Amino acid sequence: MKDTNPSLFKLLLGRILTPLTRQQWFILGLVILALITPIAAASFGAASIGFLDVLHIVIRKLSHIFGRADEVNVMAERIVMELRLPRILLAFVAGAGLSLAGSVLQTVTRNPLADPYLFGISSGASFGAVVMLTIFTGSGLFENPELIASSGVFSGSGAFAGLLWFSLPFGAFIGASLSVLIVLALSGLGLNSQVERMLLSGVATSFMFGALTSLLLYFASPLATASVLFWSLGSFAKASWSLLLLPSLVIGVSLVIILGMKRQIMALQAGDETAHTLGVNVPKLRLNMLLLCSLITAVLVATCGGIGFVGLMIPHTVRLLFPGRQSILLIALVGGLFMVWIDVLARCLLGNQELPVGIITAAIGSFFFLIILRRRKVAI
Amino acid sequence: MKPFPLPPIKPSTPHAVEHNTALNVSHLSWVIDGKTILSDINFALPSGQMLGLIGPNGAGKSSLLRCIYRFVRPTQGTITLFNQNIDLLSPKAFACRVAVVQQDTPHYFDMTTEQLVSMGLTPHKGMFDTNSSGDSVKIAKALEKVGLVHKVHQQYERLSGGEKQRALIARAIVQQPQLLILDEPTNHLDVRYQIQILELVRSLGISVIASIHDLNLASALCDSLLLLDKGEVCAMGTPTEVLTEARIGDVFGVCAQVSSHPQHKKPLISYFYGYQHQDVDQGILMPNHDLSTFKGS
Repeated sequence: MKDTNPSLFKLLLGRILTPLTRQQWFILGLVILALITPIAAASFGAASIGFLDVLHIVIRKLSHIFGRADEVNVMAERIVMELRLPRILLAFVAGAGLSLAGSVLQTVTRNPLADPYLFGISSGASFGAVVMLTIFTGSGLFENPELIASSGVFSGSGAFAGLLWFSLPFGAFIGASLSVLIVLALSGLGLNSQVERMLLSGVATSFMFGALTSLLLYFASPLATASVLFWSLGSFAKASWSLLLLPSLVIGVSLVIILGMKRQIMALQAGDETAHTLGVNVPKLRLNMLLLCSLITAVLVATCGGIGFVGLMIPHTVRLLFPGRQSILLIALVGGLFMVWIDVLARCLLGNQELPVGIITAAIGSFFFLIILRRRKVAI
Repeated sequence: MKPFPLPPIKPSTPHAVEHNTALNVSHLSWVIDGKTILSDINFALPSGQMLGLIGPNGAGKSSLLRCIYRFVRPTQGTITLFNQNIDLLSPKAFACRVAVVQQDTPHYFDMTTEQLVSMGLTPHKGMFDTNSSGDSVKIAKALEKVGLVHKVHQQYERLSGGEKQRALIARAIVQQPQLLILDEPTNHLDVRYQIQILELVRSLGISVIASIHDLNLASALCDSLLLLDKGEVCAMGTPTEVLTEARIGDVFGVCAQVSSHPQHKKPLISYFYGYQHQDVDQGILMPNHDLSTFKGS
């Protein structure tokens, strides 16, 4: 990992310097990391393509647009351009989106444990996915159960696999939307204990869909169960340029909206009543933000499965690393970079087999979180 | 040459009076679940004056203030702000006219003093507006006014009680309101800050309505007082008119003597100690300073 060394060095150097400059060093390190990440992350994977080769391919591709081209390994170019780069971008978008949603939800509910999956979104999505799977396996569309298992990864063999490949995210999106609608219907527009109602109805919805999912899986075939499990742990393996379009669009637009509403969201931190006296329509803002975060999460769950802990952890980490600097962009950047490198780990840890991303985020995330929490306890 | 006859000046045309009224509350009632919290409240606050809201715990002081800053919707009655019905204003327009300083802020609160004060700009800003240099000057001036320039970059949570209260007032100054509402601004403060905060608020020259527990403080620093008891207006007027021994005894259930303050000649209240509650409740002890009824001695 030659590329993370400069930022690590700066991190250590920053310790010696004063608090203000330490923050600036952090940001400088982040920017450098963000610049080299697309190329560096693309040089990891099953096929060995070096950092310079990737750089060469990307520069060649760029110069190709301007009419100049020279010889390059076609295979390596296809791997980089059609598999690795979209995957890296999808990981970045997913990480940024989840951290963004987590940060906004933590602020508008004033609950440090709020996370994009808190409102039953992921259980709703799992339920939708399982319903789709059982419909397809139950109706005998799948004579060959191997197709189900392989459809979790991009294989594209056969029309039925293609059908499932589309219907699984579709079902997940419907399920996620359904759970959000239930939560919204229960939390209502009134100011009175809106946050409590949101959280409680979210937990209830989550359990309800969890139970329904378990029921369906109990009667489903083992292979369908395995497929759902793999899907629910999250993966960027299906990434392609066309798949990247919708998440990028949703998260880009959401980011702009959140940046526009930043003052109002910040005012909510000081309590509902204070925000009200600062001219914020509190119930409406909170509902709109929940809706927006749900949209982000539903789109991401449908595209890359359930990736837990990022939305909870990244905002807290940024808050602890950059105290007082409540930058939405910074949270999105850190979340995106974190996810890209987690995905690199997922690709490389087990030699010729991929690990689901959700396992690594949860494992690293909880460990990291405990350390930060300990440090915070010491600091106060 | 004959001087041109000047039109007679009418000092109190209805229009002029209404124009100078910052806040007018009429027939305000708030009933929740069959329980009357406020009933038929009527009063007007002249522009530029400071009104003190006094009354025992549970009298409805905070509820009245919440009705005025629209956090709760009264069952009936109208509130006008500079002759405009407040129900017709948008949340943003209302926040540009009325600023509120509350008692408590949430515990989980990660902000520097400067960030907190700059929150006062919220209602004045559109979607993507950034802070201009004029805004920075505004924030700096507000911080200077409340004497917190040296605490600009400190975490708000680490400020002392008095400093927190002053920071909140600085936020209200940045909000540039026509009316400032303070809900028990002197709570938990030592006597120096109690005086300092209220004098600071007075010096702003805007209309102020503040609920205050300390009757002597209210007497000394408010232009007029509104005495609430069980959701009803008990008395309204200058401190001298409102703060009589009989009223203090009736409403607060204490025995007090009212004299004239040596400095400002407004009422100065001295309390007598040692009375048992049931005596007061049964009305055996009439509130006067006749020491023959003073059982504690």
